Amino acid sequence: MSTHDDTVSLSLQDICKQFGPVKAVDGVNLDIRQDEFFALLGPSGSGKTTLLRIIAGLEHPTSGRVMVGGQDVTYMPPYHRRIGMVFQNFLLFPHKTVAENIVFPLRMQNIAKAQRGERLSWAIHLLRLEGLEARYPHELSGGQQQRVSLARGLISRPALLLLDEPLANLDRELRAEMEIEIRRYQKELKIPFIYVTHNQEEALTMSDRIAVMRNGVFEQVGHRTEVYQKPATAFVAGFVGQSNQMEGKADTVNGSLLAFTWKGTKLVVPHAGDVKAGDPLRFMIKHEDVQVEVASKKSAIPASHNHLPGKLRDIIFKGQTVNYLIDLEGGMEIVASGSPRDMKLSVGDLVFAFWPQEAGASFRL
Amino acid sequence: MAGLLNLLYIFLYAPIFYVIYASFSQDIVWPFPPAFTMQAYVDLAGNSLYSDALINSLIIGLGSGIISTAIATAGVIGILRYPSKRRTLIIVIFLSPLFVAELLIGISSLAFNARILGLPGNIFSAIAANAVEGVAFSFLIILSQLVRYDWQMDEAAMVFGARPVRCFWEITLPTIWPSLLGAFLISFILAFNNLEISFYNLGAIPTLPSVAWGSLRFGLGPELFALAALTNGFVFLIFAVMYVLMRTGLVKFGYRGK
Amino acid sequence: MKPDSTWRAFITPFVLLTGPGTIFISITLLLPLLTIVMFSFWRTESYELYADWNLDNYRVLFGEAAYRTFLIRSVVSAALTSLICLVLAWPVAYYIARHGGRYRLLLVLLLAAPFFTGVILRIAALQGILGPGGLINMTLGLAGFAPIKLLMYTQFAATIGHIYLYIPFMVTAIYLSLVNFDFALLDTAKINGAGPFRAFAEVTWPLNWIGTSIGTVLVFIPCLASTITPRFLGGPNATSFGMSLSQQFGETGTWALGSAMSVVMFIFSFLVIAIMSLTIDLRRSGFTGVGK
Repeated sequence: MSTHDDTVSLSLQDICKQFGPVKAVDGVNLDIRQDEFFALLGPSGSGKTTLLRIIAGLEHPTSGRVMVGGQDVTYMPPYHRRIGMVFQNFLLFPHKTVAENIVFPLRMQNIAKAQRGERLSWAIHLLRLEGLEARYPHELSGGQQQRVSLARGLISRPALLLLDEPLANLDRELRAEMEIEIRRYQKELKIPFIYVTHNQEEALTMSDRIAVMRNGVFEQVGHRTEVYQKPATAFVAGFVGQSNQMEGKADTVNGSLLAFTWKGTKLVVPHAGDVKAGDPLRFMIKHEDVQVEVASKKSAIPASHNHLPGKLRDIIFKGQTVNYLIDLEGGMEIVASGSPRDMKLSVGDLVFAFWPQEAGASFRL
Repeated sequence: MAGLLNLLYIFLYAPIFYVIYASFSQDIVWPFPPAFTMQAYVDLAGNSLYSDALINSLIIGLGSGIISTAIATAGVIGILRYPSKRRTLIIVIFLSPLFVAELLIGISSLAFNARILGLPGNIFSAIAANAVEGVAFSFLIILSQLVRYDWQMDEAAMVFGARPVRCFWEITLPTIWPSLLGAFLISFILAFNNLEISFYNLGAIPTLPSVAWGSLRFGLGPELFALAALTNGFVFLIFAVMYVLMRTGLVKFGYRGK
Repeated sequence: MKPDSTWRAFITPFVLLTGPGTIFISITLLLPLLTIVMFSFWRTESYELYADWNLDNYRVLFGEAAYRTFLIRSVVSAALTSLICLVLAWPVAYYIARHGGRYRLLLVLLLAAPFFTGVILRIAALQGILGPGGLINMTLGLAGFAPIKLLMYTQFAATIGHIYLYIPFMVTAIYLSLVNFDFALLDTAKINGAGPFRAFAEVTWPLNWIGTSIGTVLVFIPCLASTITPRFLGGPNATSFGMSLSQQFGETGTWALGSAMSVVMFIFSFLVIAIMSLTIDLRRSGFTGVGK
């Protein structure tokens, strides 16, 4: 019996789940702390929903253990685990009012009526649902339904709250609002949230730590800025944020940097542990790490930076950012992202795309 | 084709309407010109054989209806909520009574009860034998409605602390009850009006159909007409109820939380 | 703890829910049928059953002309009834499915409802129209015409009776199939040059074969076993196999022979089901949305 660390709310140990020949989850290990907002990010089919269902008790893992608060709950039925859940389709009970829906978990736990009333008021107040208590789910808007769903998940003060793509069915504005609200609830209530999504923007906005999942395994687990700025694999680099990518063969390795030739130009890029001289590699750099300068002002570019000549093919104005589409002389398109405030270029200009040597990440192919 | 449809309706309903009309007539053989009387109904009500038979038919109908609905509901929930490789096999088993002639069901139950179990004709074996047919019909009805139910709702309830039985009571049943009622009504009517299955299982115990059969052997009589009219009225009343249920119940079915 | 013993792993919710039904049907349907099979090899003497295993019952059944006649008569009648029901039901079901609109449910329920009043009362009602004292013949008589012989106590009348009883089944089965049929496929066929008959034969009919075959089975089987209709509408020459069968368990008390007759009848029914289901496997079709 290992000693239980009191700050760890949920511990997943070597979780595997097999459906026939398909390995939905293949060896997942994770510890989640009491005060964390944890995001499970991945494309569909990555196994993230399966993992969530295993934590909830709606599935049993083929092997491995699930520990909640130090207790082995792997085979415990869901109605005994004190866990809350919020669903993508809301799943509010259509024949019950808002108040009855919210109070449902407390009734199931046989909590006394007086206490139920207290908690109900608290939940209604927290989620700003005053006045809606007697309505039925089909009379509510999407956002209101989601808040009721949240209230129901939180009312019993569960050991942890699971959220399965809860914002997927809301429109964009509402989503942005709810992202911030949900994070606020987590911080106020100090209950760990596990948030499953395929939307990396949501994950980055709301979470403390992120696990990027693909084909049943964690490609990377770490603090959100780390996952964004220092992707551990090519997949993570491509999935989180938007990247350019270039392929070539590593020439020489020099400590934390390596040199490789891309279509005749020598580039110096960060070195990832397992790349050796002569290996084929892929270099990825985020759009916002690439800068643009007019060809005539080449002297403004620091000598140590990588720079590639090209022609500005198009400028895409996205409101908060501007994307510059550059056709490089080497024959590829690169995207550089910047702030609208520095818009000095015109379509057709001859430019240089440049970036410092420490920017981006390289991966063995 | 519309013409054929109308012809079919006339074909099916002409005898029924005629019988109803004739049951109120003074001369049932040639009820023209119309001369109305309630005599047939008075005689029917006064005839103790019919009233005994009515009670037995009611008991058989209720018993069969309840058993069929309960078993069929469990079966449908089993195959829809908990998918399994045996699913097709279970469906075949539950629907098999539809493909066995009622006569065979009646006779084989009689043989089994009389010789193997050593029981004389009794109402319980009649209820059981009718329930077999009822299970098949109920299964079909409930299955066709329940395929639209969102079982994730039950999962949500489970996560929030509802044990399976409580979940059924609080969440599933309030949503699916119209289809259960429909299945019950159909099984009830089938068993209530059943001749071939009940007859062999009951020996001397009378049911409405068996008394009607006995009466028919002596020719058409006014009481028979009255009984037919009443039964038709009863069946149509139940169908009207079911129609209303299906029309409004459908709205609440398979409610996917949107 | 993990349920690892095979016994506990067996009692899943699936088993708990479908088990009672399976057991119930096995006991109330399967066991009795097996009993009948068993009895068919026994002997009755003076109203008592004796367990001398023998094939005499079958010898009698196939040997004596009377029983052979009954059997053939019933099989032919059932086949004929099924065919007529099929021909009549298809246009009706098609019309309701395609042109019924909001009233589809109502139309089908109206067709199905009469079935539930029970066979005796329905036959009694039919007699009220067809029989010698019935509406048709009485009207003819009063108008000075002779009654239609064909309608009274003949095989013809019995067949009408069978159609009357079982056509709702056929219509419902075909309707349920058509309800899931994509009528737009017919438009595709027509655009590609198929006339209405061709379109029906190549598209509509095959894709709804499951409905047709289920309807046929649902009509054929009760017809084969029918006792009431031939008795009250058919004449002395219309004794059916079912009637004879029920006599064995009633008046004559010869259970063994009756059991043999039951077995034969069941085999015929089973054959029909088998033939129908074989043809279903050979074709792709969609019934209630479940394609092959």
